[in-house]
Amino acid sequence: MPANVRVENLRKSYGSTAAADGVSFDITAGEIFALIGPNGAGKTTTLECVIGLREPDEGRIEVCGIDARRRPHEVKQKIGAALQTSVLQDKITPREALTLFGAFYRDRDAPEALLERFSLADKADAPFDSLSGGQRQRLALALAFVNKPELVFLDEPTAGLDPQSRRELHDEIARMRNDGHTVLLTTHSLDEAEALCDRIAIIDRGRIVATGTPRELVAGSSRAAAVTFVTSQPVEAAWLASLPGVQDAECDGTSGRLRSDDARRTTAELMRLFEARGIELVALHVDKASLEEVFLDLTTRREAGA
Amino acid sequence: MSGLLQQLVVSLKLYSRNTMALVYGYVFPTIFLVAFWVLYRYDKVPLARHMGELLTIAVLGGACFGLPTTMVSERERGVWRRYRLTPVPTGYLVVSTVLARYLILISAGLLQIVIAMGIGMPLPRHPFQLWLAFTFVAFAFLGLGLVIAMLADNVPAVQALGQCLFLPMLIIGGIAVPLASLPDWAQHLSAFFPGRYAVDAIQACVTGDGLGAAGFNLGALLVIGIAGCVAGAKLFRWDAEQRFVARAGKGWVGVAILAWVAVGLAAEARGRVSIVRTAEPAETTPAAASGRTAAPFAPNPSLSPAEQAAMQAASSAPAANSTTPPASTTTAPDRTASSRGTPPAGPAATPALPPPAPATVPQPAPTPAPVASAPPSPPPAAAASASPKTWQAVTAADIDRDFIFTRLPPDEGVVTPIAPPDEVPAQEVLDELEGIRAALPTWKPGKVEDPVQRARNLLYVAAVPDIFQLPMERYVPQLVFDQLLQDIPKDDLIKILYWIGMHPMDGTDAAVDQLRPLGLGNGPSDAEQLRERTAIYAVKLLGRITGRRPAR
Repeated sequence: MPANVRVENLRKSYGSTAAADGVSFDITAGEIFALIGPNGAGKTTTLECVIGLREPDEGRIEVCGIDARRRPHEVKQKIGAALQTSVLQDKITPREALTLFGAFYRDRDAPEALLERFSLADKADAPFDSLSGGQRQRLALALAFVNKPELVFLDEPTAGLDPQSRRELHDEIARMRNDGHTVLLTTHSLDEAEALCDRIAIIDRGRIVATGTPRELVAGSSRAAAVTFVTSQPVEAAWLASLPGVQDAECDGTSGRLRSDDARRTTAELMRLFEARGIELVALHVDKASLEEVFLDLTTRREAGA
Repeated sequence: MSGLLQQLVVSLKLYSRNTMALVYGYVFPTIFLVAFWVLYRYDKVPLARHMGELLTIAVLGGACFGLPTTMVSERERGVWRRYRLTPVPTGYLVVSTVLARYLILISAGLLQIVIAMGIGMPLPRHPFQLWLAFTFVAFAFLGLGLVIAMLADNVPAVQALGQCLFLPMLIIGGIAVPLASLPDWAQHLSAFFPGRYAVDAIQACVTGDGLGAAGFNLGALLVIGIAGCVAGAKLFRWDAEQRFVARAGKGWVGVAILAWVAVGLAAEARGRVSIVRTAEPAETTPAAASGRTAAPFAPNPSLSPAEQAAMQAASSAPAANSTTPPASTTTAPDRTASSRGTPPAGPAATPALPPPAPATVPQPAPTPAPVASAPPSPPPAAAASASPKTWQAVTAADIDRDFIFTRLPPDEGVVTPIAPPDEVPAQEVLDELEGIRAALPTWKPGKVEDPVQRARNLLYVAAVPDIFQLPMERYVPQLVFDQLLQDIPKDDLIKILYWIGMHPMDGTDAAVDQLRPLGLGNGPSDAEQLRERTAIYAVKLLGRITGRRPAR
C-alpha cells in the first residue's frame, strides 16, 4: 500500500519551545492511525501542520502524494478535519453550515446525505446554540466529510463526550475504515487508540518515541513482565532474588510478585525452585506490559533522563 | 467564488438573526436621528444639514463595533480556524465578511435617509455621489474596524477599543458636536480623526455641491481606509490563542496611526482645519463658489462696500452731520490706533476706545455681558446725570463714554457672530437667507411707528438665529444691518442703536413670535438672553457705522 501521509523531520517552535522537534511518520492508505501523547507533547501542533493550519519551521509533509507545504490548497481539497473546540456561530443551522462549507470545495456531498448519515436530520434547521454536545460533535464530523475526503483528521474526537456519544463515534470511525478512508486521530485515551487504531505513534516532547500496532508496541517494550504467584507454604523473598532476570521481588507469606526481563526463563527457574523445596504452586500469572505501561515508560523515562 | 457568495449570504442571514446586532445597526442610528431632529428642530429643512453626521454615526457604529465584534467572536469560537481548513484563502473570506458588513451599512444608511425623508427632508442633491461618498466612508471605517478586530483579543476588548475611538470622534471629531461649537484646539485635533472628512464628504452630497470640491476629504478617507486594511491584513490572526502582545509585526498598527497623522498634517498644511474656512469650499474651488453662489447672493458683496462707505462717511465727514458732535473726529485715528496699538499723532487723540474708559464712566465695566454698560432694568439715564434722557439727545460723547467696543465678543465667536462680507454661505443657507432678505422689507414688526421699537424688532431677527445656533446665524446680522441702514436715517440709527445698547430691556419683544413670514420658528423662551444678544448686535452695528469698531 502506498503511504497516504508522509511526514519527515517536522519541526515547529513557538518562541523557545519546540512543539515538534523532528517528527517523522508514515500513514498507509486505508489505515486508522493514532497520535497519542501527554498534554503538550506536540500532537495538535503536528496535526495542524499536516492539515495546513500552521506553517512548519522545517520538514517535509506529503499528503496523498501532494507536497502539502507547496500546494496547501490542493491538499485541503482532499482532506477533511474535525478539530477540538469547533464551535460555530450561535444562529447557524447544520444545514446552512454544511451548505456553506460544501461551497468551498470542488467536490462535495449533499447536505441532506450528510445530515442523514450523522443523524442530524431532525436538527437540520435548528440553530447551533440549541444543539447538544454530541450533536455538535456529529456536525463537526459531518463538516469533515463535506468534501468526500480521502483522508480524515480528527483532533481529540471524543474529548468531552458522554459514553453514549463516544460509542456512536467509535462506530462511526470503524465505519470510516470500512469505507476505505484513511484516518489520523489524536487522543489521550489509550483504550480508544487500542480499540480503534491499526497503528499508533507515541509522541512526547515533540518527538515520536515509538510507532507500531498496539501489540508490537507492547511486545517490543523492554519493560519487565509482572509475575505473580500463590503457593501452599510461605516463601521468602531472598530465595527469589537469586533467580535470573528478577527484579523487585516481594513476598507476603504464601503469595508473592516479582518483575522479570525474561519471563520465560524466570518462570522456569521459579518452578524448579519450588519443586526443589517441595512447595506446591497454587497459581501463577505472567502479565506482559500493558499499553498504558509502555506509554508511561516511554513518556516518563525521557523525563527522568532529561 | 460560490463559496464566497455563500459566505456572504450566511453572514447576512446570521446578522439578521442577531437581535442585538440589529438594534445596534439600525435602531441606534435612528435614535441619533431622532435626537438630532429634536435638537435642531429650528432647522427649516429637517435633518438635511445633519445627514453627514447621522450617516457617519451609522457607519462608525457598524464598523468600529459591529464588524470587529462579529469577527472576534467568530475567532474566539474557532469559526475562523474552521474556515482555514478549507481550500479558500482566508483573505477572500475576510473580504466577503467585510463586504457583507458594507451591505449592512448601506441598508442602515438607506434607512436613515428614508426616515429623514419621511420627516420632511428632500431627496439628497447628488444621490449617486452620496453613494460614492458613503462607500469611501464605509471603506475608511471598515479598515479601522479590521484593525480593531486584530488588536482585540476578545469581545470586551473590542468594546473598549471601539469606545476609545467612537466617543472622541463623536465629541471632538466633528460628528455629534458641530465643529463650530468646539474650541480651537479641538478643531485642530479633529483634523487627525477621519470623522470630519466623512461628515464633510457626505454632507457635500446631501446639501452641498457634490464631490467636486470634496477631493481632499475623499483622499483622506481613502488613505485612512487603505492603511487600515494593510495593517489589518498584516496583523490578521485566525486563532484566538494567538494573543496580540505575542504577535510579531505589531508595528503595523503604527501604519494605521501614521495614516491619521499624515492626513491631519496634510489638512493643517492646506489650512483646511479652521471651521470658518471649511464651511464651504470658497478657497478650494473658487470656480464653483463664484460660479453658483455669488449670483443669488448679489446683495451681500454689494452691501459690504456700501457699509464701508457708510463708515467712511461717518468717520471722515463729521461736519456734515449736524447732530453729531465734533468729538466723532476721533474715530478715524482710533481705527488706526486700535489696530496699531499706539495712538498716532492725530489732531485729537482722545482715548475713546482704549479701555479702561475715562473716569467719568459712571458704571464699572460689567464682566459677563460685553456690552460695556448694561445695568439691567433700572434706567441708567436716571442714575447717571450725564446720560441722555431720550434717544434723540444721544451724543457721540455718550457713545464714547458708555461703550468699550474692544470688549465686544468677536465676530467669529459663538455669541453674536457676524460673517465677514466675503464669506460665501452654503447653498441651503443661501436659500434661507434669500427668503429673509425678500421678506424683511415688508415684515410687519419692521414697520412699526416707533423707530426704536422698529430697530429692536429688526435686531431680534439677527438675535434669534444666534440663540438657536442656526447655520444662518453668521449671515443674518448683515441683512438686518442693511435693512436698518435703508430704513432709518443714519444719524438717527446711531442714536437708536446707542439707546438699545443702553436699554436692552425696554420696549417689547412680541415681535419674536411673528418670525414665521421670515422662515423662522417661534422665538426663544429666554427673553433676557434675547435682549442681551439684541443689545450686543446693536452695539456692534453702532461700532461699524461710526467706524469705532470696523468690520475687520
